Amino acid sequence: MIKRFIEPIGRYCLFLKMVFRRPEKWGIFWRQFVLETDKLILSSIVIVGVISVFIGGVLVIQTASNMSNPVLDRMLVGYMVRETLVLEFCSTVVALILAGKMGSNIASEIGSMRISGQIDAMDMMGVNSAGFLVLPKVMSATFLSPLLMLFSFALGLLGGWCVVEMTDIIPAAKYISGIKYAYNGFYVFYSGFKMSLFCFLISSISAYNGYYADGGSLGVGASSTRSIVVTSILILLFDLIVTQLMLY
Amino acid sequence: MIKVEHLSKSFGDFNVLKDISTDFRPGMCNMIIGASGSGKTVLLKNLIGLMEPDSGEIWYGGKRLSEMGYEEKSSLRQNIGVLFQGSALFDFETVLGNVMFPMNFFTDWSMEQKMERARFCLDRVNVKNADDKYPSELSGGMQKRVGIARAIAMNPEYLFCDEPNSGLDPYTSGLIDKLIHGITREYGITTVINTHDMNSILEIGDRIEFIYEGRILWEGDRHSILGTDCQELRTFVGANVLARRIIGG
Ligand SMILES: Nc1ncnc2c1ncn2[C@@H]1O[C@H](COP(=O)(O)OP(=O)(O)O)[C@@H](O)[C@H]1O
Ligand SMILES: [Mg+2]
Repeated sequence: MIKRFIEPIGRYCLFLKMVFRRPEKWGIFWRQFVLETDKLILSSIVIVGVISVFIGGVLVIQTASNMSNPVLDRMLVGYMVRETLVLEFCSTVVALILAGKMGSNIASEIGSMRISGQIDAMDMMGVNSAGFLVLPKVMSATFLSPLLMLFSFALGLLGGWCVVEMTDIIPAAKYISGIKYAYNGFYVFYSGFKMSLFCFLISSISAYNGYYADGGSLGVGASSTRSIVVTSILILLFDLIVTQLMLY
Repeated sequence: MIKVEHLSKSFGDFNVLKDISTDFRPGMCNMIIGASGSGKTVLLKNLIGLMEPDSGEIWYGGKRLSEMGYEEKSSLRQNIGVLFQGSALFDFETVLGNVMFPMNFFTDWSMEQKMERARFCLDRVNVKNADDKYPSELSGGMQKRVGIARAIAMNPEYLFCDEPNSGLDPYTSGLIDKLIHGITREYGITTVINTHDMNSILEIGDRIEFIYEGRILWEGDRHSILGTDCQELRTFVGANVLARRIIGG
C-alpha cells in the first residue's frame, strides 16, 4: 500500500531529473518553447476569457443579492467580487479548467508518441527525449501561466462591469470604486504564484503519465484520465497549503 | 563488432531470453530469425539499451554497455541507427524534418548542409518528391524507406532493423532487403536484422542466428540453412512452400 504511493513519487522525481538536464542545444529548446506556448497558453485564452466574463457577471449578481441590507455600502459588492476573483477564481478555478485542457493535451500527445515508438526512436538517437519533449512545455506552462491569471482577472472584472451596466443592481460608479477599494498588490502576486505552481504540476504530472504510458491506445486514454484526476486533487491540496503559508 | 555474453531476460516468471551468447560482425547482415513471440524484439531492445538484461553483458567494441554513463551512451547512440518495427517516424516533422532531426542535435551544420545530407539519404533509399509530406501521408513501404534514411543520416557504425519488411508486398520487401544489404556492404556497417521472412533470410543472410524459445539453437548463413539438421529450424524453414520442396519433408 505504502509502496504504491511512494514508488510513483520516486519515479516522478527521477523523471524531473531527466527533464531538467541541460538541453543539447538552446536553439532547439527556444523553438519548441515558442511552439508549446502557442499550444498551451495562447490556445487557452479563449476558454479562460469566456469563463471569466461569465463568472465575473454571475458573481456581481450573487454578491449583490446576498448584501441587500441597506446598512452595507453597495460599493462593497465590487470589492467582494474583486477579492473573490483574485484570491480563488483566477488561479485555482482556472487551473482546474486548465488541468482538463492542458493536462489531457500533454498526456495524450506524449503517450501516443510513447506507444508508437517515437520516444524510443529519439532515445536511440542519443537525444534526451524527456528534455526535448517535456522541458519546453513545463517552462512555458510555469512561467507564462500567470499571464493567463491576470487576463482572467481583467475579464472577470469586465464581466461584472457589463452586468452592472446592463442592469440596475448597483450603480456603475459604486462598482468601479468598489473594485478600486483597499487594493492589495500582494494578493495578485499570491494568485500568480499559485497559478504558476499549479501549471507546473499540471504540465509535469501529465507529461510523466504520458511518458510512461503503456498498453496501447487504452493506456494513453488511461494516462490522460489519471493525469486530470491526480492534478485536480493536488491543485486543491496545494491551494490549501499555499494559502495557509502565504496568507496567515 | 558487438558481442553478447550469457544474456538473460525475464518478464515476471516468463523467461524470454535464456543465456544468449553470440556476436555480430561489421560489413555483414547479421540476422536474428525465429517465430513470432520467440524474443527477437526483446533481444534487439536489450542490444541497443532500451531494456536492461537481468544478467549477461553486451560489448560494443571493447566497451561494456552496462558500464557506460549517460554521456558515453549518448555518444554511442549517435553511432547507432535503428529502424523500428512500426518505423516510428516523428509525426510532428515532415519527411525531410525526420531525416534532419538527429543532425539538428549533433552537428553544427548549416541548414543547407543538413538539407543536402538529408536529400542524399532519401535519394539513397529512392524516396523522391516527398520532402514536405508528413509520415501519415506515406504508404508503409515509403515509411520504412524514410525510416532507413533517418537511421543512416548520421553515418552509423551499427544499424538495427526490427522486421524491416513486415507488412510489405514481396516486391517492395525485396527492394528494402537489397537496400539494407547494399548500405551495409558499402559503409562496412554492423547490421543486425530481426526477421521471420524466408525470402530475406535466403537473400541477404550473411550470418544467421536461429532463436527458439529464448535460446540460440542454430548459427550459420544463407547457404547452410537449407541443409540444416536442426529439427526446430527445419520446421521453421519448412513453413515456406518453396523451401519445403528443397529441404524435402
Ligand atoms: N514489455 C514486456 N512485458 C512483458 N512481456 C513482454 C514484453 N515484451 C515482450 N514480452 C513477451 O516476450 C515474448 C517475446 O516477444 P518479442 O521479442 O516481441 O517477440 P518477437 O520475436 O515476435 O519479436 C512475447 O511472448 C511477449 O509476450
Ligand atoms: Mg518483434
